[in-house]
Amino acid sequence: MPEKIDPTLISEVRKYGHFDVDACYACGSCAAVCALSKDSALFPRKSMRHVQVGLREPLLASLDPWLCYYCGDCSKTCPRQTEPGESMMTLRRFLTAQYDWTGLSARMYQSPAWELGALAAVGAFMALLIALFHGPMVMDRVELNTFAPVMTVHFFDWAMAAVLSFFLLSNVARMIWNTMFRGGSAAPLQSYIEEAWSLAWNGATQIRFRECGKNTARWAKHFLLVTGYGLMFVMIVLFLPWFQTDAIHPIWHPQRWLGYYATAVLAVFTAEILWSRMKKEEQIHRYSDLSDWLFPILLLLTTLTGIAVHIFRYAGWPLATYYAYAVHLIVCVPMLVIEVPFGKWAHLTYRPLAAYFQAVRENAARRREQAPAGPQGAEAQPA
Amino acid sequence: MTPMNPPSKNGRKVGAALVVGGGIGGMQAALDFAAAGIKVFLAESGPCIGGVMAQLDKTFPTNDCAMCTMAPRLVEISRHKDIDILTLADVEKIEGEPGDFKVTVKLRPRYVDEEKCTGCGACAIACPLGKLKAPKEGESSKKPKPIPDEYNQGLSTRPAVYIPYPQAIPNCAVVDAEHCLHMSTGKCKLCQKACKADAIVFDQKEERVVLEVGAVLVAPGYELFDPRLKPEYGYGIHKNVITSIEFERILSASGPFLGKVQRPSDKAEPKRIAFIQCVGSRDHERDYCSAVCCMYATKEALLAKEHLSEHLECEVFFMDLRAFSKGFDEYYQRAKKLGVKYTRCRPAAVEEVPETKNLRITYLTEDERKAVKEFDLVVLSVGLRPAPSAQTLAQTFGLKLNPHGFCATEAFAPMDTGKPGVFVAGAFTEPKDIPETVIQASGAVARILELLPEAKGTLIEEKQYPPETDVAGQEPRVGVFVCHCGTNIASVVDVPKVVEYAKRLPNVVHAENVVYACANDSQEKIKKTIVEKKLNRVVVSACTPRTHEPLFRNSLQEAGLNAYLFEMANIRDQCSWVHMHEPEQATIKAKDLVRMAVSKARLLEPLKKKHVPVHKDVLVVGGGLSGLTAARSLAGQGFTVHLVEKEAELGGASRLLRYLLEGGLDPQRHLDDLISEVRSRLNIHVHTGASIASIAGFIGNFTTKLKTASGEEEIRHGAVIVATGAQEHRPEEYLYGKNPGVLTQRELEERLAQGSCKAKTVVMIQCVGSRDEKRPYCSRLCCGMAVKNALKLKALDPAANVYVLYRDVRTYGFRESFYTEARQKGVVFIRYDEDRKPEVAESDGKLSVRFVEPIVRQEAVLEADLVVLSAATVPPLENKELAQHLKVPLDQNGFFLEAHMKLRPVDFATDGVFLCGMAHYPKTMEESIAQAGAAAARAASVLANETMELEATLSEVVDENCDGCAYCVEPCPYKAVTLLEYKASDGAIKKIVEVNESACKGCGVCQATCPKKGIVVRGFRLDQIAAQSEAVLQEQASPETPEPAQQPVGAGEGV
Repeated sequence: MPEKIDPTLISEVRKYGHFDVDACYACGSCAAVCALSKDSALFPRKSMRHVQVGLREPLLASLDPWLCYYCGDCSKTCPRQTEPGESMMTLRRFLTAQYDWTGLSARMYQSPAWELGALAAVGAFMALLIALFHGPMVMDRVELNTFAPVMTVHFFDWAMAAVLSFFLLSNVARMIWNTMFRGGSAAPLQSYIEEAWSLAWNGATQIRFRECGKNTARWAKHFLLVTGYGLMFVMIVLFLPWFQTDAIHPIWHPQRWLGYYATAVLAVFTAEILWSRMKKEEQIHRYSDLSDWLFPILLLLTTLTGIAVHIFRYAGWPLATYYAYAVHLIVCVPMLVIEVPFGKWAHLTYRPLAAYFQAVRENAARRREQAPAGPQGAEAQPA
Repeated sequence: MTPMNPPSKNGRKVGAALVVGGGIGGMQAALDFAAAGIKVFLAESGPCIGGVMAQLDKTFPTNDCAMCTMAPRLVEISRHKDIDILTLADVEKIEGEPGDFKVTVKLRPRYVDEEKCTGCGACAIACPLGKLKAPKEGESSKKPKPIPDEYNQGLSTRPAVYIPYPQAIPNCAVVDAEHCLHMSTGKCKLCQKACKADAIVFDQKEERVVLEVGAVLVAPGYELFDPRLKPEYGYGIHKNVITSIEFERILSASGPFLGKVQRPSDKAEPKRIAFIQCVGSRDHERDYCSAVCCMYATKEALLAKEHLSEHLECEVFFMDLRAFSKGFDEYYQRAKKLGVKYTRCRPAAVEEVPETKNLRITYLTEDERKAVKEFDLVVLSVGLRPAPSAQTLAQTFGLKLNPHGFCATEAFAPMDTGKPGVFVAGAFTEPKDIPETVIQASGAVARILELLPEAKGTLIEEKQYPPETDVAGQEPRVGVFVCHCGTNIASVVDVPKVVEYAKRLPNVVHAENVVYACANDSQEKIKKTIVEKKLNRVVVSACTPRTHEPLFRNSLQEAGLNAYLFEMANIRDQCSWVHMHEPEQATIKAKDLVRMAVSKARLLEPLKKKHVPVHKDVLVVGGGLSGLTAARSLAGQGFTVHLVEKEAELGGASRLLRYLLEGGLDPQRHLDDLISEVRSRLNIHVHTGASIASIAGFIGNFTTKLKTASGEEEIRHGAVIVATGAQEHRPEEYLYGKNPGVLTQRELEERLAQGSCKAKTVVMIQCVGSRDEKRPYCSRLCCGMAVKNALKLKALDPAANVYVLYRDVRTYGFRESFYTEARQKGVVFIRYDEDRKPEVAESDGKLSVRFVEPIVRQEAVLEADLVVLSAATVPPLENKELAQHLKVPLDQNGFFLEAHMKLRPVDFATDGVFLCGMAHYPKTMEESIAQAGAAAARAASVLANETMELEATLSEVVDENCDGCAYCVEPCPYKAVTLLEYKASDGAIKKIVEVNESACKGCGVCQATCPKKGIVVRGFRLDQIAAQSEAVLQEQASPETPEPAQQPVGAGEGV
């Protein structure tokens, strides 16, 4: 069936950020220079073309925007200066919004008022919760676990994780449906199993990022940031009673140095991200969407307030510690609620999944090639 | 009549013009001016004229040798009495007003006396800097470095005193003061010692001349993009990445590797060559197309395969293949057939493989795969940039430059500038190829002739010669002059021996050697000897008659001898050059050549040039934009014009044009103004509703019978301009004529103009009826027209959805920026393949277009309110009949075929008939106007003369031998021979052929066909040629053996 051309697609995509393909004459130098593009995924030209021509369904079915790590080589090479790299960035926002069935993501990406309003609302809600339900404030010494009983907070963690996972996973389901089932021929289960390792491997290492462009420092920084983030996530979501203690452990205690390591990389690399976005020296930082700013800003604020809690506790300033803790939660929770299923955080899920699905597709294609021609070959594929 | 250009205040009109720029455009203009009676100053900033064309190996699409086609022009200009060449010249100041300018020109010193220098090249051989070797890598380079040879793009080196290239005009050395040892150290002077003509003048100073001219033509050409600005392609970093012009030199037999195709790093023969298109064109900084690169890359690929082997891999990386002009698409198809590979991708970078110095290119294949391929040589198709002097010239003359830095002009006056009396032509106004440049140059000449009608001929002097001595019945007295050409001949050929030998040849009464036969002192000597020794035949044994025969003939005339009593032996090209290492054999051959020349000279007879009167009226066939423009120009120049139009109305196909791509000007207004001016001119006779019944006669003397509503009419005229135009093809495909929503571009344009186009979604389909089997040519106009109408649709309704389905977007030149603008306004361009054309379907009255998007390889469908077909431009069927009347050819597509695709784009092989507008090929209004002007200028070069001088060496029928067998009639390529029947005195019907001397070129085909010696070419009679042949077969007499026996000699023998 021929695809119906949708002339509104390009203007819709433009609501998600910079998308200047107007001067593009599809010369192909972007895909030729890209270190990650290959026969089975010739981006960014194909993705740009989907939007330029108005091929909505093929765009939704494509994984390519997630496979790009935005080194900026394409934008530097483009003879018409159309910024394909930034366009891929915009497409990732667009796809995030397309996967989200609630429509919240689309609203927040398209409107700063919505995005900031949502963050403020969740923050206010959080402040209200703390004001209403916080424990007694011991003032002669710092007793954080009395102010915020660790098991209550831990329960809240789990509840929030469950809700956010629901939204995120339902969006992931839509991503799978769009990319792996609708329209194209489905891949056999065998392929999914054979390539499963790549999901874990890519998720843990972001190794494809390393192949992107010539600057491997970008990957290293990002990798360290992810280790800090992951470590903090594990310590808080899984082991909060062990992590949030009133007793100050000696420095060699893993709670201390693991916490310091995670905090340090989070602080340093989020600050670095923001600093480079402000300087705009590199090609990839020439354009910055609100969402590009918000996630690192919130992450940095969360980290800084976390550091403040720690310092105040050390200094033995009870009131300052409790307030800092409250602020820490008022920043951290909205960040997670908004960014995890509806915003930039979601790339933590979509990117490794896309790399995995791409591997599955290639695996399936190899199988198709190797399968003997004829009806048997076709039937051999499970639905 | 009122000249269209404002008259100068004092009314003075100077019959001279200044042409700035000695490239092919400037050269064409100089020749046209001189032919029309205007004195020319040809000012070139470099040391010689010729421009970039002189560097080209061959030219597309005919693969003609560039130098071979332009060298005769170089020579013609160099010896034209009415053309003054000023080299190393910079225009500094212009004062005065149109018709009466004073232009100050600075002449930089050449350090060589042009009057004395004979171009022998001895100085260049003597210069020590010519022998320098390039320092090896790593070697310290304190020694002077060899000087890169500009002509060979630095691929070879040259001395500090040099002649830029062998055919350079002026054929005179120049000292490169920057490098010359004497200039920097005060020593050396080896060249001065080597120069036998005493021509090196180290103390020459800069000079200023003030030229009085009526008008100026500025044609400084262009410069090539410096690919160092795109470091990703590695030019200047990787040795085997070269520019297209460097490759042109490598291909050339006169190039750095003598025509052997080698790559620079190791001089190895490349097996795989990549061409990268659009280097310095069509990018963000330079939003225009350089218009020539697609074709020159195709040509270079073809020539490389020709030079090396058919197995040579040539791959052209391109975006849109812009084969938009006459014969181009056919040429491109031929290249594909011959194995040149075309890959539609712009490679991002060129990487070098350090071990092999091969080059690696990553690109996308046509079937959407990523490929990495290694090549031995990468040629960058560099774009055209404005001339380096563009800024200065703009300031000096008060010209406006456009945002790209080229000279700004307007569509309806493409050679005019904002400054009256100053005109422009060539790549100075827009990147363009040779024929377009030549057309504009001639077109600019027409504009200037319109400005100076009464000044024509005022500064042209007729040369006076003494009365000719009657040599009839005299015993031949041959004088032989053997030239040393400095050392050019004498270093190989033993000149004194040749002289001694010549002295002993029959009828030779005088023989001597001269250092330079062509130098002024030798000319005087020859003249004196003719008189003193009563010579009645002269043989000069020197270089080629192609360049020097006219000079010597002139000396004969000045000495009172008929110019045709002269014969030349070319002992330079044929002896000293080709047998450089065999001096003895070369000397023997020189003697043979002299003997042949003397043998023929003995049989030479005086010949007279005939003159035929020229009728000053001109016939213009076709009353469209081109015909009207040509008619107006010629009328403005003072000639009477008969304008014939088959329709009842004037205007032709341009009547349908409502907008220009560039916007602004209104085509209909221009056309209306033009028509009313043509109608109001007393010296233009408009014949509408008229057709041509017959055309008879020849250049200067045509008689045409017209059929009009009021009966037949006869016109006498001296020249014809064919401007029959072309029309839009009526498509049969894509539901055209079946669904009212399917239109052609011109129909859409009309609707847009009336404001009656309310479509939300419009799909345009390009190449409808073009570039297919039936019409293999590109209709050239349609891409620009689609962009124009798409932009108009977007201007009327920015929300309209416009899709253009194309094969290659051929928005050449500045049209490219409108293509960019269309994309920026949201027009979507989608390519389709010839073998997968879009499909237009209709259901319930709704139109839909199905196509395959080739990049995402997705079949897609569009619902369209309008489907607009970019239909082919086709020649009128009546062309055939007119071509027969005029005895001129049509090309395979039915357009008129010009005399030469590069250098004679408005001429026909038949003299006195010229061509312009869409009768030649589809073209824009701007291009038609330029070519109409060019046709007018070319016609003026005929009409300017009271009489036509015919060459004396033409065919002549020997009545008593001709029996009317007519064998010679068909083979004559110029249709100059016709068969006559007449009643002899005894009443019998007799047949005989007749030669039309105005059409005859003296080629000799008739003489060769005739079995009865019934037709001969004067000056090349069979007996004369036989004498030469016999002479060459004679055993050469050694000095010891007795003289060759005297042969009986008689003038007229054998006739």
